Amino acid sequence: MKLKKITALLLSSALMVSMLAGCGGAAEAPAPADTAPADTTEAADSGDDAAAADTAEASESTGDVKEFTMFITMPGSEINDDNEIAQMIADKWGVKVKETWLTGQTASEATGTLIAGGEYPDFIDSDEMNLLVDADALVPLDDYIDKYPEFRDEWFTPEEWDKFRQPDGHIYWINPFGNTMGETKQTTHNDEAFWIQVRVLEWAGYPKIETMDQYFDLLERYIAENPTMEDGTENMAYTILCEDWRYFCLENAGQFLAGYPNDGSVIVNKSNMTIEDYNTSEDTIQYFKKLNEEYNKGFVDPESFTQTYDEYIAKLSTGRVLGMVDQWWDFAYTVNDVFKQTGLDLKGCNYVPLGLTTKEGMENRWHTYDDTVNQASGIAITTDCEDPEAAFKFIVDCAMDQELHDLRWWGVKDVDYNVDDNGLYYRTDEQRQNWADTSYQAAHRCQYSYFPQWHGTSRDGKNANKPEEQPSEFMNDMAKPLKDCFDAYGITTYPQMIGSVQETNGPWFPMYSYSNNFTTETPGGVAWAKMGECKHEWLPKVVMAKDFDKGWGEYMDAYEACKPEDFLAEMQEILDTFK
Amino acid sequence: MARVKTEKTRKIPITMKEMKKQSFLMIVSFCMVVYGIIFYYWPLTGWIMAFQNYKPKKGLLGSKFVGLDKFRFLFEDDVFIKVIRNTFAMGVINLVSTTIMAVLFAIILNEVRRTWIKKPIQTISYLPHFLSWIVVTGILHVSLSPTGIVNDVLMRMGFIKQAINFFAHPKYFWWIVAFANCWKETGFNAIIYFAAITGIDPSLYEAASIDGADRLQKIRYITLPGIKPTFLILLLMNVGNVLNAGFEVQYLLGNGLVQSVSQTIDIYVLKWGISQNDYSLGTAAGLFKSVVSILLIVLANGLAKRYSEERLF
Repeated sequence: MKLKKITALLLSSALMVSMLAGCGGAAEAPAPADTAPADTTEAADSGDDAAAADTAEASESTGDVKEFTMFITMPGSEINDDNEIAQMIADKWGVKVKETWLTGQTASEATGTLIAGGEYPDFIDSDEMNLLVDADALVPLDDYIDKYPEFRDEWFTPEEWDKFRQPDGHIYWINPFGNTMGETKQTTHNDEAFWIQVRVLEWAGYPKIETMDQYFDLLERYIAENPTMEDGTENMAYTILCEDWRYFCLENAGQFLAGYPNDGSVIVNKSNMTIEDYNTSEDTIQYFKKLNEEYNKGFVDPESFTQTYDEYIAKLSTGRVLGMVDQWWDFAYTVNDVFKQTGLDLKGCNYVPLGLTTKEGMENRWHTYDDTVNQASGIAITTDCEDPEAAFKFIVDCAMDQELHDLRWWGVKDVDYNVDDNGLYYRTDEQRQNWADTSYQAAHRCQYSYFPQWHGTSRDGKNANKPEEQPSEFMNDMAKPLKDCFDAYGITTYPQMIGSVQETNGPWFPMYSYSNNFTTETPGGVAWAKMGECKHEWLPKVVMAKDFDKGWGEYMDAYEACKPEDFLAEMQEILDTFK
Repeated sequence: MARVKTEKTRKIPITMKEMKKQSFLMIVSFCMVVYGIIFYYWPLTGWIMAFQNYKPKKGLLGSKFVGLDKFRFLFEDDVFIKVIRNTFAMGVINLVSTTIMAVLFAIILNEVRRTWIKKPIQTISYLPHFLSWIVVTGILHVSLSPTGIVNDVLMRMGFIKQAINFFAHPKYFWWIVAFANCWKETGFNAIIYFAAITGIDPSLYEAASIDGADRLQKIRYITLPGIKPTFLILLLMNVGNVLNAGFEVQYLLGNGLVQSVSQTIDIYVLKWGISQNDYSLGTAAGLFKSVVSILLIVLANGLAKRYSEERLF
């Protein structure tokens, strides 16, 4: 009797609790573990459903065009369903891809949600590919790759393909970026740097800036003399983006300041082939000490550590921020387009990269000259794709068909660009403005930017594969202050501006492509996750500390508690395979 | 005592005839039972994950059992201990502040005599309930930023010299969350109290007036005792909800600097379960939360049973 009563009590209480959780769900929060993933999945699903609905609708109207969906774990802008170039591609190549981008969640959350839900888009590009492989979500591509020997041989070398091979011997994804065709036409510094607005350099008479001290000294002097912009907006010396995975803008400058390339999670000491931890290195301490000093002097944006990516981009777009550390691809495409639209580029708000180091006269390796093959991510076809054959063919077409490539990156001939008598592509100012305009982009431009693409010279041997790499285009696209700056330093491209040493990176480069794939299965993976959490909290604290040494000491205690040695040991094991 | 006994002996025996007679009720309740099993109890089988090293590829049946390993990891993790503390602290602060605000608001609104003022205020006050958290946190983020309205007002009135970045200091975080909850839910929660007050017999107030009671006395001796049953039932129901201290608010307002006070169990589950793909660990954390919630509600119910008539079960 008593037992029955207790059981009844327990059951009814459990029912009550779950009902409450259900009721409160909308306003409060989904509670127990089992409902939390379910709820988020629902959101993702409804997104997919919407995409699927669109797909079904569109395919009815176009007949035999293959409709695919794609999810990319990066924020991006969706293009309109009736996008003109997407339609041209569909007409000629028979494929239309509905891209959806990351919103709100982090990349790993989005991937985890897809796996928990078990339904996938046709194509996927995620930062967490190994999780998808673990979940049996991806189609092995080996056979398809062998079907297109031309593509296979041109896209990667056999060694590079091998890097993509997973422990089970299959290749599941193809990195679409960073391949150069023919002669390199690299004009942008598509990497990390200390960036500075050209108006500051112009004001100072284009000095040579080599160290952090000189950099901040210049910013301070500029602010002292020019507290506001022409329109009265207050200038801000330096801001730091610190949201989620983008906190590299705060976190990893130490490795570059010490003169090492972007291995991302560790430093590789080539002389004795050992892994070193840059988090605790002298250069990193100096870097944070300098940031701390500037913060306490009031030259670092007080909102640095609480701003979101959107707020950060909005801030940069006002042109009031003089400098920051960031990757080119993380800000330049958006911000430069805005500058062009608002005319701020004519006021010298464009950013140029500086290759700073701890001491003067050191070699810097901010710029990566080789093609960086990040084998940790790329485009993949999922098991939910009904026609992987056609899907893969489109991947190949994107890489191998120059006409398609031109359509994606240059646009429509005589509309988005013109061809001169020598066969060189060029654009008028109006065409350039259009190309940078967001509503025009949504209605007309379709880059399928996570499908394979080339840098360097086009198959016609004359033009660049991408407009920003076309020398004439690159020069014409530059506003006067930027051009003046380039002239003053006697350079023609961004990589020359940063002046990194030219050398070939080791076959292990970049090491971050390995650590990105760590899971909590191993002690090193757990350490890596905990180190990330710890740094997220402590690095901002260290910068804001009233007493730097004390703050750094506390940080180190917390950092050591994460057992970084486990992580470093596993990275060393990986490096040892290249000995 | 005797009456109770007779009631017990009058229990209707379960016979085919009786079941036929009550067939409609049987069908209705059967549907509810099926619904409950499918949506409340069946998902609980997923709790097995907490005792496994779950891999999506192998599924629930194929994954390896690891016993209490995941729980051991949880309780050896300093972060999780902090997470429990945060969840409890924010849950209690939220519960206390939203309840007090709702009762106060309902009483004050009840004292407003003119309907044409009362009705619009009531409607406006519960509108924020229908805003999504992303909107509310957006508003908070802007108004509490160093250049936002709050800092602006404080500086103009001379309370502070320098703008405070409210989101950069752990000490403010819990109170910001409590404020957000109050702002959003006060009006909506007050509806139920307001209804309870309306249900109080007006003759009590009339009698009190004749006896010479003033407004405060009427509130003290009639309104408050009148809403006590409602208050207790709601409190009981919410005690089980204390660990649902929130997910969206903390997730959207949090950042690296305040993560040691902002993370709740739900965020922890998301971080380890979904982001790090350790579903087992996430489930273990969620299971722990559910068990504690059940204990809490049983405990609160027991207390209520002992000290007053109100109880849930």
